[in-house]
Amino acid sequence: MEIVDLSTLPDSETRYTEFLRQICEKHDMDHAAYAGMNPTAGTVAGYVTYGDEWKDHYQSQGLIMIDPTIHMSRRSIAPVDWSRLERSPDFQRVFRDAHDFGLPSQGVTIPVRGPYGDIGLLSATRDCSKEEWRKLYTHVIGDLQSMAVHIHDNVVTSDEFTSALYHPTLSTREAEILQWVAAGKSQQDIGDILSISHRTVEVHLRSSREKLSALTTPQAVGRAIAIGLITPG
Amino acid sequence: MIIVVDGLNRHLFGEVLDEMFELRARVFGGRLGWDVKIEDGKEIDEFDHLDPAYVIGLDDGGNVVAAVRALQTTGPHMLSDVFSAILDGEAPLRSATVWESTRFCVDTQRLNRGKDKNSVAYATSELMIGSLEYAKNAGIQDIITVIDPVMDRVLKRSDNAPYDYVGKKVQMGKVPALAALLDCSDERISRVRNFADIHHDVFLEEEQALELFASRKDAELSPANHDHKPRTDLEKYFVEQMSAAKNEAERQDVLKLIEALSHTFTPEQKTALLKTPRAFAHEA
Repeated sequence: MEIVDLSTLPDSETRYTEFLRQICEKHDMDHAAYAGMNPTAGTVAGYVTYGDEWKDHYQSQGLIMIDPTIHMSRRSIAPVDWSRLERSPDFQRVFRDAHDFGLPSQGVTIPVRGPYGDIGLLSATRDCSKEEWRKLYTHVIGDLQSMAVHIHDNVVTSDEFTSALYHPTLSTREAEILQWVAAGKSQQDIGDILSISHRTVEVHLRSSREKLSALTTPQAVGRAIAIGLITPG
Repeated sequence: MIIVVDGLNRHLFGEVLDEMFELRARVFGGRLGWDVKIEDGKEIDEFDHLDPAYVIGLDDGGNVVAAVRALQTTGPHMLSDVFSAILDGEAPLRSATVWESTRFCVDTQRLNRGKDKNSVAYATSELMIGSLEYAKNAGIQDIITVIDPVMDRVLKRSDNAPYDYVGKKVQMGKVPALAALLDCSDERISRVRNFADIHHDVFLEEEQALELFASRKDAELSPANHDHKPRTDLEKYFVEQMSAAKNEAERQDVLKLIEALSHTFTPEQKTALLKTPRAFAHEA
């Protein structure tokens, strides 16, 4: 199943939760959560697929203040498997409670660092055997990385001021490659035209897509045209 | 052996990091003559304060022999800032699945020129394997790395040649710097592994690393008096008293005092202490 680009979902608070639900469905996760901190706007945003009882408990107990999946994971550059946090007393505290609400303590948090000190954390959990989890983790981690940046960039740019700062800047090479895509050329053709490797074309396209908050190359082309970074066809 | 030190465990590996910063000072400030800030013999810049991840190579004795630093390209990193000259005013790549690697260095003083475990070649390959695998396991697909032409040649010689370069070469002190692209694919990793003939798991678990450093510390701070060199003032005092004892009764008094204060020593220290003064006394 393809995940729908966030900006194409109806513009309401529920679209982030909907996005998280799609991530769960696509990657066989029980639950997903996003927490974002934006020091520019002074805001903290949170979206979860958890039930209301757990959300209420989490909030009323002030668990957000100690939750190591947030406070510790933000200091890593790599995804943090929660097994790495197990020994922290705060982890025990939060997940003893979570257990009472039927939530697993097996999960991963992907930290995203934005350019302006903003930090986003995408978490996903799954109740299954350790071996199964290992396999799932390896399989989905690359895509979850991209999803984490996608939801983070969308949440952060929903603030007007930060949105102005986040204006996408493509390098000449990125714009050039997108322009050839708009002209209908394949990655292989573009590599030949520009005398660069297929992988170089791919890494620039990936960067362009993410800078333009697009999940697919056609979306990136559309957006680049819309904001005048390249010209149609 | 490779350990990964990041914002989550750096409080456990303070001495390892210090050793790495000293190595960086020797390599980048000294040998390469880069324009880096060195304080107290350590090369530390603003990116070290952003909780990067360090992939660190250790020899069997637990000494730092190689290191490299990784940052996400979605946030602040060197190419978007101090190395922007390499990109000639162009925007850097920004992707969830591209990491930037900087400050790759190997201790050419401690290591030899051969091919064994304590060689520059081995430590270099092992660090390449460790950093590629750490990135790959995190879902990263490509690494953009800022290197000098010497490192570029080392990469090529190790069957780890960059698949492309971004921007241009710029002078960074004595030597030019450039940005190269490496994929973190299984194919590249097995090429480097085959070249270096390294087929085992290169990573040391956090627990194992802590054990290694604890045993190293024990060796340094061996219990008092094994070599007749008391460590603390109290031990020194006992040894002096023992040497000064003129007869068996006085000797017994000192031993009783040691016994009475034994709770302040580790069992090993106590045993050594009870033995060594006797040796002293017999010699006297």
